Amino acid sequence: MEAIEVTDLRKSYGDTRAVDGVTFTVRAGETFGIIGHNGAGKTTTVECLIGLRRADAGTVRVLGEDPARRRRALAHRLGVQLQDSSLPERIKVAEALRMFGSFYRDAADWRRVMERWGLRPLARKAFGDLSGGQKQRLMLALALVGNPEVVVLDELTTGLDPIARRETWRLIGDLKTAGTTVVLVSHYFDEIEALCDRVAVFARGRAEATGTTGELIARTGTASLEEAYLALEGADR
Amino acid sequence: MKAFTALTAAELRLLSRDPASLFFMVAFPLMLLVLKRGDSGAVPGYLAMIAAIGGMGALPGLLASYRERKVLKRLATTPISPVMLLGAQLVAQVAAGLAGSVLLVVVTIAVFGAQAPGDVLMLAAAFLLCSVMACALGFVVAAVVRNTRGASLIGMLVMFPMIFLSGAAVPRKALPGSLRQIGDFLPLTPAVEALGDAWSGTAAVFPLLILAGIIVAATAAGAALFRWE
Repeated sequence: MEAIEVTDLRKSYGDTRAVDGVTFTVRAGETFGIIGHNGAGKTTTVECLIGLRRADAGTVRVLGEDPARRRRALAHRLGVQLQDSSLPERIKVAEALRMFGSFYRDAADWRRVMERWGLRPLARKAFGDLSGGQKQRLMLALALVGNPEVVVLDELTTGLDPIARRETWRLIGDLKTAGTTVVLVSHYFDEIEALCDRVAVFARGRAEATGTTGELIARTGTASLEEAYLALEGADR
Repeated sequence: MKAFTALTAAELRLLSRDPASLFFMVAFPLMLLVLKRGDSGAVPGYLAMIAAIGGMGALPGLLASYRERKVLKRLATTPISPVMLLGAQLVAQVAAGLAGSVLLVVVTIAVFGAQAPGDVLMLAAAFLLCSVMACALGFVVAAVVRNTRGASLIGMLVMFPMIFLSGAAVPRKALPGSLRQIGDFLPLTPAVEALGDAWSGTAAVFPLLILAGIIVAATAAGAALFRWE
C-alpha cells in the first residue's frame, strides 16, 4: 500500500519554479528520506503534502486523500514538524502538549509523550526560555502527540547536539517499529543512511533519483551516499 | 469544541502572564478611578477604554507576532481551523476585558459607594459589543500591517487618539469644539454613549446597532486583507 503518492507536482512563485515535476511514492510503514540543497524544492513539496499549499499542477495523495481539499480531515492522521516554526513565548511545555493533544481525534496521552521525549523536567518551563535543542525536541513531540499514521519532519535534528541527535534517531526508529510512515527532510547524509529505507535526491525542483542508499550508490558508481548525491545533483550542470 | 476551549484557555493564561496587559486592563483603570475620587460618571468611559486597550492596543501586535514567528503556520498543520484560532483570541480578549471591567464596577460601588448601574443587562451587552468591535478593528490593523513592531505601533496610534476623542478617557464636553467633531466620526464614540446610557438606565438600541454595523464591516475588511504568512 502507498501512504503517499506524488505525481508530476508543479508549483511556482511568480517567475520562480520551486517544484518542477516531482514524482515519488512512499509505502506505508516506510521511513522515506528527502535530501537536496537549499532551493531544490524540498520544503515546497512538504508544504503541498500537508495541505499548506495548493499545487499548480500534478496530483498529491496522502493516505488516499488530496491534502489541498481535505486538509482538516487529513490533519487528524498527520504529524508535522516544520522548519523554524514556533509557539507563543510564554506557553509552558506541558500546556503546549496538552493543548495540541486536544486538537486530535485519537490523540496519544500527552503526559506519556512528554515522558518519552524527556520533556518531563521541562514541563513548567516557558517556550521562550528553552534552548534551541529543547525547542526542537518539543516541536517533535508535538508532531507525535496526535498519534499520527504519517509523520512529516522537515530538518529533523538541525540545532541538536550529538547526544540529542542520537536519542532522536532512536525515537524515530521506535516510530518505524510501530508501523508509522515517516517522511524525513534532511541535510545530513549520516541521518538519512541511519534511518531511511529509501531516499529521494532533490535537485532543480525534481526528484532526480529515488531508491535505497545501496541502489543510489550502485547507479552512480560511487562509494557513499554523499558521493552519489553529488553525482546526481551535478548530473546535468 | 474541546479544541476551541483548550485554545481559548491557553490564550487567557498567556494574557494573564503578560504584565502589560494586566496593568492596562486591570490596574490602570482602577488608578484612574482613584484619581477621580471614585466619580462613577467616568466609569462607562473607562470600560470602553479597557476594551480599546485589549482589542486595538494589544491584539494587533500579538496576531502579527504569531504570524511572523510562524505560530499560525504551525497551527495550520493541525486539525484546528485558522478561524478557530482568531475566535479563541477574540474570546480571550473579551473575557480579560470583562474581568477588568467587573472589578472596576465592583470597586466603584463597594469602595466609593456609587449607585449600581441602571441597566446591568444593557451594560453587559454594550461592553461585549464594544470589546468585539475593538478586536475587529485590531484585526484590520494586523491584516494591513505585516510585521510585529509595525502592527503594535499602528494599533497604539489608532487607539490613543480614539480613547481621548471618543469620551472614553476624558468627557467630550471638556474638549474644544473641533476635536469634539472629530470624535463624532470615531467608532468608539457610540460605544462610550451606549455604555453611559446603560449605566444611567436610559439605554437606547441605536448605538448598539451602530456598533454591530462596525463589527460586520471591520470583520469583512479584515478577513479580505488578512494573510496567514
